[in-house]
Amino acid sequence: MRRWVRSEAFSAWTFMAPGLALIAVFVFWPIIYGIPLSFTDYSVISETHYVGLDNFVKAFQDHNYLISLWNSLLYVIVVPVIQVLSILMAILVNGNIPGVKIFRTAYYIPVVTSMVAVALIWSWLLSSNGVVNFLLMKIGLIHEQVSWLSTSSTALFVLMFITMWKGLGYYMMLYLAGLQGIPSDLYEAARVDGASRWRSIWSITVPLLRPHILFCTLISLMGAIRVFDEVYILTKGGPGNSTLTSSVYIFQKGLEQFNFGYASALGLIVSVLIGALSVLVFRFNRRGGVHPY
Amino acid sequence: MATTTYAKKWLTGVRLAVVYVLLLALALFMMGPFLWLLSVSLMPGKNVFANPPAILPTFIDFDNYVKVWQFMSFPKYIYNTVVIAALGVVSNVVLSALTAYPLATFRFKGRNFVFGLLVATMIIPSSTAMIVHYLTIQWLHLTGSFLGVVLPSAVSVFNIFLMRQTFLSVPTDIRDSGKMDGASEYRIWWQLVLPLVKPAIAVISLLEMMAFWNNFLWPIVVLDDPQKYPLAAALTFLNGQFSYNFGWIAAGTMISVLPIIIVFLFTQRYYMEGIAGAIKG
Repeated sequence: MRRWVRSEAFSAWTFMAPGLALIAVFVFWPIIYGIPLSFTDYSVISETHYVGLDNFVKAFQDHNYLISLWNSLLYVIVVPVIQVLSILMAILVNGNIPGVKIFRTAYYIPVVTSMVAVALIWSWLLSSNGVVNFLLMKIGLIHEQVSWLSTSSTALFVLMFITMWKGLGYYMMLYLAGLQGIPSDLYEAARVDGASRWRSIWSITVPLLRPHILFCTLISLMGAIRVFDEVYILTKGGPGNSTLTSSVYIFQKGLEQFNFGYASALGLIVSVLIGALSVLVFRFNRRGGVHPY
Repeated sequence: MATTTYAKKWLTGVRLAVVYVLLLALALFMMGPFLWLLSVSLMPGKNVFANPPAILPTFIDFDNYVKVWQFMSFPKYIYNTVVIAALGVVSNVVLSALTAYPLATFRFKGRNFVFGLLVATMIIPSSTAMIVHYLTIQWLHLTGSFLGVVLPSAVSVFNIFLMRQTFLSVPTDIRDSGKMDGASEYRIWWQLVLPLVKPAIAVISLLEMMAFWNNFLWPIVVLDDPQKYPLAAALTFLNGQFSYNFGWIAAGTMISVLPIIIVFLFTQRYYMEGIAGAIKG
């Protein structure tokens, strides 16, 4: 006993015990407990029963849920757009020209501010007599006011735009870190060989950024499918259910209507979907090994 | 020959000008909305939907700030936010440093198993975590308390990874020499190793401070009394209460975002290094 107490293993576990206990309760338990929960009709109001696959059958007949899944998938459009733009931004701020650090900081400000504040600003800018319409009409892109967030055909895309606007700086910094790891003599060599600027971006930058592209694509993919904050604050899924995403629907079913069993089943389906998409991204990027840490 | 160098110089000049124009345009796109909000908040009585819109304030008056400060109990919300953020930052720093240390430097049975288990949770995200967290917090009788707000994110797998990565770069002789002097493992950790990983501690503190400062949903779910809300949550409340008073809302929003922007501006160097260090290709 005494030897065990003085062993390295013992002190290792005493170091890790508090952290691992919390991880167990708040990371492992939700993953594990969510599975049995989704086979019950657990809610606060009535007795709990085992209901077999009922929740899943119900889910695939639930018109709103299917729409929310579709909207979440549609939201993935924002992922490649963010990657392309943030790589271009990273290239733009990669140089050592005077004042460039100030610009990097400026682009990062939307990342550190709360979504509540960002959503509020954009909801004003984008309202029918807001600044965006004023500017767009001024340059002649549109001829009459559009209420961007309360028109079903535009609302989801406007939300994607806000997600993109808030996220660009974050991905830019990650790509910038990647760019700064590329030795500059590679570009010199390419220039000596007569390669154009675009050519060297395509043939040197993009392949060498592959691990970063994989990492950023994965996190923004998960973020897009599970998008919640901007939707919940700005539209709550409306108008109609045109911006209803799966996370918002699960939240409504679970924490607003207290159908914990059904909401868990809906969440389980989304988790499986995210898992499948992650595998797809890995396949697509097979040659770039990922070492996230 | 002379003409070509002249042409070259001219070309680099043009290129530089184009780069600056692009940088400025992008800065306007990213900062413009905040500057516009600032200018709305400084002009009481001015309509946000004024035509043409006011990007720069034509006059400056702090009346909105005074009024909204009197109307909403800002000191209370700021106090709530600071307490929640402080609890969150301290618990994340201490717990991730404790948990990651043996994972990086000790040799013991089960180390790879624990590490593998932690990696797995990053690949399988739970989409219903919030529901289970709510049930857990209820079971622990912590609803309505700040502890209930902080506990589910008191330590994260991400931070444990970040700390582990940093501990790996600490030379092993340090631990050996500490042992030679008869110091306990805890003392070695606290007095010899932790001072060497200050940059990582700074990064985690900043990331967590921002996360807790900006979080609005979980506090609303856990805290039954709006008087206990942190700023971001209180702000959603404010918007619902008088959506017509743009100046007040703009001022309230500025008050809530300024502290975190200021903290970021002063600490950005660490922060940028930290998020860059999070992925290594």
